[in-house]
Amino acid sequence: MSERKTVEEFNGIYLDLSKQSGKVKFAEAGLAWRPAGGAGGENFALDGQQFTQCQWSRGARGYEVKILLRDSGLIQLDGFEAEEFDRVVKIFRLFYGLNLEHKDHALKGWNWGKGEFGKAELAFSVQNRPAFEIPYSEVSNTNLAGKNEVAVEFSLPAGGNETGTNGHMGGARTKGRKSGAGKDQLVEMRFYIPGTATKRENDDDGE
Amino acid sequence: DENGVTQKKFKKFESYKRDNQFPSKVKDLAIVVDEKASTIVLPIMGRPVPFHIQTVKNASKTDEGDFAYLRINFLSPGQGVGRKDDQPFEDPTAHFVRSLTFRSRDVERMDLIAEQITNLRKNAVRREQEKKDLED
Repeated sequence: MSERKTVEEFNGIYLDLSKQSGKVKFAEAGLAWRPAGGAGGENFALDGQQFTQCQWSRGARGYEVKILLRDSGLIQLDGFEAEEFDRVVKIFRLFYGLNLEHKDHALKGWNWGKGEFGKAELAFSVQNRPAFEIPYSEVSNTNLAGKNEVAVEFSLPAGGNETGTNGHMGGARTKGRKSGAGKDQLVEMRFYIPGTATKRENDDDGE
Repeated sequence: DENGVTQKKFKKFESYKRDNQFPSKVKDLAIVVDEKASTIVLPIMGRPVPFHIQTVKNASKTDEGDFAYLRINFLSPGQGVGRKDDQPFEDPTAHFVRSLTFRSRDVERMDLIAEQITNLRKNAVRREQEKKDLED
């Protein structure tokens, strides 16, 4: 076998929509992330044994590697370059035995599709491509807001603080803070879900 | 086939074909109004998500404390409005995003975005009407 590195590094990577970018290192044991300049002096580390699935797709800040974890959580690493895809594929195959799935998102701009509940997140798909995903950890409340209408509210940093983690870890948002990442913060989302009467009819047909 | 029946009914509008067509400003995790593509790009959990202006019903801004709240309502069934031949309102299985609410400390920018969306919507409606007039 040809030369195989034991550690692979990438700079300019955001962890869970952190304010600051940092450096991520991959090795067989897992991954570690540290904000640029080492602010806070801590490393975020994750055991490779926790990884169950990984995806590559377009994020707001470059390309995103999303890793689904054994405990049904997930982490987002944003800021990869398009050309780094092949390198990341190799890393996940060789270090963790995982296939990095290239997931194209819906770009049509339609507001209709299918809400699908996965292990760690709700995905809204347009013609079988995800348009966006909402990790369950970010949802603070849901309610039936009207006939066929479901409202989903998101957790936001208390008092509107821009950083959800007291400035540690480059302002990375672990659980329940991702909506507060940007200048414009998603507060609530409402869905129209068609009536259940139709569904019951289908069930009677032997579905 | 089952999809063809409902799909042929509505017109095809499309925001983007490739993900490199997003305005570069989407990296700020902020709302971007892309007039060229007749599209609003909204930041949802770190992803830029396009919504074509044809799906938008209206946008309204309210202030509360330090924040400006922008609510974008989309066309969806059961509201008694909207042109239904553009959207699969008759499809009993389709889910719709009905509204999204964002908050920001930048009150002036939110005012501007609400205005941009309203204008984009007006222009889209005007163009539709002109097209219809030509067909008549």
